[in-house]
Formats: sequence, C-alpha cells, structure tokens
Amino acid sequence: MENITKKTIEYLANLARIKLTEIEKETLSADLKKIINHFNELNNVDTSNVKPITEEADLKNILRKDDENQNPYLNKGIENFPETKNGFLKVPKVL
Amino acid sequence: MLLEELTIKKLYEGLKNKKFTASEIINYYLKQIKEKNKEVLAYLFINVEENLIQSAKEIDLKIEKNNIEILNGLPLAIKDNILIQGWPTTASSKILENYIASYDATVIQKLKQKNVIFLGKTNLDEFAMGSSTENSAYQITKNPFDLERVPGGSSGGSAAAVSANLALAALGSDTGGSIRQPASFCGLVGLKPTYGAVSRFGLIAMASSLDQIGPITKTVEDAAILFSEIYGKDEFDATTHFLNEDFKNEILNPDFKEIKKLKIGLPKEYFVGGLDSQTEKEINNVITNFKKLGFEFKEISLPHTKYALSCYYIIMPAEVSSNLARFDGIRYNRHFNEKNILELYFQNKSLFGEETKRRIILGTFVLSSGYYDAYYNKAQKVRNLIKQEFKKAFEEVDVILSPTSPTVAFKIKEKANDPLSMYLSDVFTIPANLAGIPAISIPAKKYKIENKELPVGFQLMTKHFAEKNILGAGMLYEKEFLN
Repeated sequence: MENITKKTIEYLANLARIKLTEIEKETLSADLKKIINHFNELNNVDTSNVKPITEEADLKNILRKDDENQNPYLNKGIENFPETKNGFLKVPKVL
Repeated sequence: MLLEELTIKKLYEGLKNKKFTASEIINYYLKQIKEKNKEVLAYLFINVEENLIQSAKEIDLKIEKNNIEILNGLPLAIKDNILIQGWPTTASSKILENYIASYDATVIQKLKQKNVIFLGKTNLDEFAMGSSTENSAYQITKNPFDLERVPGGSSGGSAAAVSANLALAALGSDTGGSIRQPASFCGLVGLKPTYGAVSRFGLIAMASSLDQIGPITKTVEDAAILFSEIYGKDEFDATTHFLNEDFKNEILNPDFKEIKKLKIGLPKEYFVGGLDSQTEKEINNVITNFKKLGFEFKEISLPHTKYALSCYYIIMPAEVSSNLARFDGIRYNRHFNEKNILELYFQNKSLFGEETKRRIILGTFVLSSGYYDAYYNKAQKVRNLIKQEFKKAFEEVDVILSPTSPTVAFKIKEKANDPLSMYLSDVFTIPANLAGIPAISIPAKKYKIENKELPVGFQLMTKHFAEKNILGAGMLYEKEFLN
C-alpha cells in the first residue's frame, strides 16, 4: 500500500502549482490513500503480453498537406488574453 | 397538443403544418424557465429575452415562406463547457468566472446553421468532473422528479432542464457517463456517440482520450435527429472521422426488420450485486420487453469490466492534470495579478474547487516519476484489454444491454464526502468511454414527474460507429413501451 502522507501531497501540489490549505492537505492525503489503494486491484490483471493502448490503438494516421494557412481564431485568442500589447501577449517576467 | 409533450420531431411537424408558431414555442419555454428554474437551478445563464423572441420571429418568417427545416427554432440548452461566441462560459468553475467565449464550438456552428435557438447555458460539475452536479462552484441543480435528489452528473443541468421542460433538448458531454447517467436519473435519453464521431473543438477539454459531445433528449428518435446534425469530420479536431450520408440515413431511418435480428448480449459481470432493487426489477422488465419484441439474448462475459473503474480513475485524472494546466492565470482570466510568476500560478489555481484539485493531484501522482509504470502505464494496458474484450464480445453479439447506473438518483449530499462511492456510480458507463464505443441510456418505461417515481435507465452499447444499432433498437423499444 502506498504511503501517501501530507508531505506527498505537498510535493504533488507543488508540481501542479496548486496552493492547498492545511485542512485540504489532510483530506486529500486520506482520500488519495483510499483511492490509490483501490487501484492496486490492477495488480491482479496479467498484462505481461499486453501493450498499453497508447502504443497499440488500432487507428490509422490521417495526414494532411502541410499548407500554409492563417488560423482564423488567432485574433480572437489575442483579444481574449488578459493583457496584450501591440498584438503580443503580455505575461509576467518568467526568468 | 400539450407543449410539455413536444419532441424535436413534433416541433418540426407542428411548425411546418402551422399548428403553432416558433414565437409561441419560445414564449412557452421562457415562461417555464421563469417559473421553474429558480427551483430546479438547471441554468447558469439564460439568453436575453429579446434575442430569443427575435430569433423566433425570424423562424416564423421562414415558415411563412414554407421554408422550414428540421431543428429550425429548436429551443436547446447547452452545457456550460461548450463555447458559444460572446456568451459567458464558466465550466461551473470560479476560475472562468467572467470569461466570455471568443468563438463558437463546431457543434454550435453546425446548429446555428440550422437556426437552433440557444436558451441558455446549463450547470455542470466543475470542468465536468463529477456524477451529481454538486461540484459546481455556482449552484446545486435539483432532480425535477424529487427536489431533494441530484440530477446526476456531470451534465446534470442539461438533463434537469429537459426533464423539467425548461428546454426541448440539450447538449452534454460524456467522459465517463456524464450524458448517460444524468439522462437515466432524469427519465431521459442520453447518447454518447463513438469517440471521433462529434468534434470537440470548443468543448473545454477534460480527458481528451475519452471526451465526447452528445444529445440529451426526451426520445430516442430526437437523439438520433440531433446527433445526425452534429457529427462529422472537423479540421479542428483531429480525432473526428468522415462519415457519409448513408450513416445519416441509417440512424434516422433504421431498417427495423434488420434491427430485430440483432443479438443482445447480457454481460454477467454487470448483474452481480450492487444494483438497488428498483433498478434490478426495471432492468429485468426491459429484458422481458425486448424478448417480446423478438430479440434474441445471449449471456456474455466481460471479465475485465471490474477493473474499468480503477483504470478510468488513473487515466482520466492524468489527462485532467495536463489539460487543466492551461488555467494558470496567464491565459483566460487573471484573478490575482501577482508580480512573481509562481505566486501568480499558485494564487489563481487556488480558485479550483475541491474535486478538481483532488483530480489534478491524483493525476500528478500517477504521472509522477517512480509511479508512472505502476499506475499510468498499467492502466493503459488494462484499457487495451477492456477494448479487446469488447471487440471479441461484438463477434458474438451486436448490442450489449446493462443498467446505466447501479442506483436511482441519490440524495443531495449523500455521496458528497466520499469520493470513492461517488466514483462507483459510473461503474457501468465508464467501459464504453475506455473502449471508445457508442452507448445510449434509455428510460426503462415512461416516467412522469407527477407520479413521483424515480426513473431507471438502461444502457445499450455497440461497435464503433454502429450507432444505428442502438438507436434502432431504442426506437423499437420506444414505439412499443414508452408511448
């Protein structure tokens, strides 16, 4: 059984960039322990000769011509952005 | 004719034969919404009255010129995770409060061409994550059959709207049962089409390998009509397939002689315990009814079904955690304008609700280093087994019948504090999403709100792109037992 502690939740929340309250951390670690424990039933399934569906979806590639075209939604995306300047998207300093 | 008995088909015939006008119809629904929405709380946003009246007038002008087509003037409700240009779209999340959609979803574009009238946007579990619509950040939708019970979810607002006659039909989205389960709880028909049949462009993504848009309607025939107008290839959703005119003809006009020859499979794993007594009784009745219609039954086995739930609750949150990363406060709405980028992420994402946070954390866990193989990769292998199992089953039978949900609509707050028990209410609907096959929920019998009996729905599943099988069998059942 996986040991999901408050620390695990803090680690995951940091990866996901989500702020959690102390109470949320407690509830989430209890919930996740229960849920993940339920997942362990999958260990009863023999998948030794099975490929994950992501590698064996019986789908065909559908190709299209690599033509140049302007996305008709481009301006709408820019208009919808919280902050823009001269048609560029304005974001806080990253580095 | 009583307008509460209106269907999409009857609307078209009534308008064509001038039994009523589109304006009369819209006024009826406006009145219904004014009277009942405050009680049912199906809608998050209702279209401006003048716009609705104006749209109806334009339809009436078309009728005068005898230029009327199916779906013209259809008063339709749209789940609030589907974009309509210029309309608020919240996905029932605080994080998208005040967000205005900048373009139309492909399904909306298609329906606009048919002069459908959009009444409003309906409530859902935040980002379509839930089975009761209780996870909405805005309001709790009630089941019209019993206001103390949930309408199901996540398309609970859409189902409640149609069930309470606040819309003639609705669109929902289904990732693990979110169209079928609320349809079942509210005495309606809900179709989850084959993965790849309907474009998801303009649908706020939840789990992209599972999401599909579909209709929630009063009749199977209506589901077929609405589905026939929204499916098809779309350059903005690479998973969509080209389907020709035969596909449309076959779903709209099934060859009932051929349909009666279809063999129905009963997967024994779907009938072992866990069903409430009312559901069990009604499902047995459904089987008897299909036998009366002359259908042949066969018991089949889908042994990996019992693992579908675990498999789904690994794959879906994994996809959720990456899809919802876009709601970072940089794009869409910025509620907190922190100078530091990390602080900005953390502050804005704190607006996610409890279940959304739970699934993002769960998804982050199953994808994290050291656990990827044990959970995510394992689940993708089990998913393959489930898909293969269906493929094999469809060599023996054409259609698979099961309950839609193990129980009737549960009480508000009954499962809200136990996520695992909430997840279990999707146990019969999830396999179809994992395998990508089409599935429909149909009421076991004709339910009337005034009778106070809680509805039970049955589910029919079939092969990829064989919607004609389940719609055809459903229409036969409907003609005989739901009139």
